[in-house]
Amino acid sequence: MSTHSISPTAGPFTGAGLWPASWTPILLLVPVFVSLATVSVYPIINGFWLSFTNTSLALQQADFVGFENYVSMWGDPLFWNAWYHTVYFTLVSTLLETILGLGMALLLYEPFTGRSIVRAAMLVPWAMPTVVTSKMFGWLFDGQHGLVNYLFRSVGLISENVNWYGSVDNALGTIIIADVWKTAPFMALLILAGLQTVPKSLIEAAHMDGTNAWQTFWHVRLPLLLPTMLIAGLFRALDAFRVFDLVYVLTGGGPADSTEVLSTLSYKTMFSTLQFGYGSALSTAMFITEALLALGFGFFIVRQMRRQG
Amino acid sequence: MSDKKSDTILNDLPKATSSILNIETGRRQFLLGAGASAGALAFGLPRPARAQSRTEITFASAKFFGKETISDVVNAYNESQSKVHVTYVELPPPSASTEVHQALVQQLARRTGTPDVFTQDVVWIAEFAGAGWALPLDQYFNADTQKQYFPGTIAACTFGGKLTALPWFVDSGMLFYRKDLLEGAGAKVPETWDELATAAAEIQKSGKAKFGYLWQGKQAEVLVCDAVEVISSNGGSILSPDGKTGVLNDAKSVEAVQFLYDTINKTKISPADVLSWDEEPSRRPFTAGQAAFLRNWSYVYGIAQDKKESQVVDKVGVAPLPHFAGGKSSACLGGYQYGVNAATKNPEAAIDFLTWMSSAETQLRYALQLGIAPTRPDVYEDAKLGAEQPFMKQLKSVFTGATPRPVTPTYAQVTLAIQSGVSRALVTGKVKEELDAANDRITKIVG
Repeated sequence: MSTHSISPTAGPFTGAGLWPASWTPILLLVPVFVSLATVSVYPIINGFWLSFTNTSLALQQADFVGFENYVSMWGDPLFWNAWYHTVYFTLVSTLLETILGLGMALLLYEPFTGRSIVRAAMLVPWAMPTVVTSKMFGWLFDGQHGLVNYLFRSVGLISENVNWYGSVDNALGTIIIADVWKTAPFMALLILAGLQTVPKSLIEAAHMDGTNAWQTFWHVRLPLLLPTMLIAGLFRALDAFRVFDLVYVLTGGGPADSTEVLSTLSYKTMFSTLQFGYGSALSTAMFITEALLALGFGFFIVRQMRRQG
Repeated sequence: MSDKKSDTILNDLPKATSSILNIETGRRQFLLGAGASAGALAFGLPRPARAQSRTEITFASAKFFGKETISDVVNAYNESQSKVHVTYVELPPPSASTEVHQALVQQLARRTGTPDVFTQDVVWIAEFAGAGWALPLDQYFNADTQKQYFPGTIAACTFGGKLTALPWFVDSGMLFYRKDLLEGAGAKVPETWDELATAAAEIQKSGKAKFGYLWQGKQAEVLVCDAVEVISSNGGSILSPDGKTGVLNDAKSVEAVQFLYDTINKTKISPADVLSWDEEPSRRPFTAGQAAFLRNWSYVYGIAQDKKESQVVDKVGVAPLPHFAGGKSSACLGGYQYGVNAATKNPEAAIDFLTWMSSAETQLRYALQLGIAPTRPDVYEDAKLGAEQPFMKQLKSVFTGATPRPVTPTYAQVTLAIQSGVSRALVTGKVKEELDAANDRITKIVG
């Protein structure tokens, strides 16, 4: 907060002379600091603290246990199972959404009749509440009566019904499909905004030099889009990492824990078994993984930007 | 956390309307009450003397409704006597059982004595008793009184040798079958799992039904119920009698879970989809006429008899679930039970209310007005119940064999371990191996 820039002409003391002028902006900022501290900083610190205790509402205990929760988490196959699924889900869905979003953005950038309607319609999946999406995909991919199986069977892609959610091989993939359907438009929107910042003159210059469409895209548009895409990807990855509603509604983490993610695991631990201590350790692990992810991405973005100058 | 569909028995349309009406009256009552107390404050009047001379207690319960609501029943108690006045605190419906659980734990953990009386899902009893939140009730309800209830419900209400809850209503797993299909195949109602598998396979082969047997294999609480049923119908169990070790990897349990695995992979009487189905997805094909047998809760019967929803009106029969040769039929016990807060300041008033609420007359009222099944076998003999709820009368034999899920204060953790272990066993087919692993975790939790 640069307090110097504010009212440079005022003397160091005003009014009764007891109140330094430079304190006024600080005073004005106090409400923001207090509210942020109560709703954001305090819960995070308290979460950290809880993760070092064995707090359990059901067993009525809240003793400091040091790193015990973290040690048992390190040796807990369920945690690593959920961790792996979360990372896998995040990487695959973000990658697919970025690629699809890029495709959609390129299409929507070109002028054609009804473009504005299509642009608006494209956002519908993203605007839908995730629980509604989840229920809808539950019906679409139902193993017996689902539309997807029916269509695939009609065109001869599959000979018998695929068990989308009841089989360990398909369940996580199906959830990723639902997530991609829902969030690719969001990526498209961000990338479309990025596309509009690419100067037309560069494209025209490239055309003058005789490049074809692919070369224009690969050598001119894509490099200029990359920072936008990386930032959009970072947002999306951080969001995907917290996936909860899709999993909770569609599979509840099953079958055989094959779709358990960190959010659902810590929800179950905290609110179903009321073990706040261990649950907080799980959340902290989530927080740390997510911070590493963001750091990695951020590093990459900064390097990209530096290289471009 | 609980058999979340046990409430759906109540959820047909006319009843939903009555609940809306109740909200209306509730609001009116609230406004009247608020107006009255505001008036009393303004004029400095004392509150009505009648209310003051009565012992005030509170009663918290998940929300159930039918032709009447719980609030109506509580009012009936308040009007029936002049010593105690009960204030009803409504919690969310049992379908939101995680929230109900949280609300109860938060209030009980404060040990302020509020609520004095509460209702709890059958799987929380041990947890609340283990935490010392539930008042032991043996001195108020002796062994003779306890004999008036289904033995399974009393077993579920007993923790560490003490009665810490009192049965309210019961639901349990049961076998629904298609009378017409069984007749067509010349088979009788199956009593063993082998008979069920044979009949189901035959009907499926004849093409009269797409599926032989439907059950619930989704990694959720209902999977624990399905597992408890097969395992105890083979004489096995999940915890040892002292509750200190797991016995989920016993030969009997393994054989039972293997049977469930085989329904999908060997006898092929169940589609692999059951692994992702809970109650409703498994109910739909059955009431659409596509299946010969279904394991589910009592609510299915109402839907099966509803012409708008069902293709199988008057074709559905109900029986206790089958058992293994040499075993006994077992039905997973669901339902809500009463408890008294150990910190209550008015135990006498609480017990008086409880005695009235759990009496045969009140249970009959619940059965007739809210459609929830009595925990006293005698009530099933009542002529009025037979006339108004003929289906409920049939369930007496099913409920007699109802078995509680593992009774342990750490049930919430144990159930997650069972769900994960059994689900893995059913998916991978490595039944023994997965149950071994799950059993280690269970023993670690309860030990």
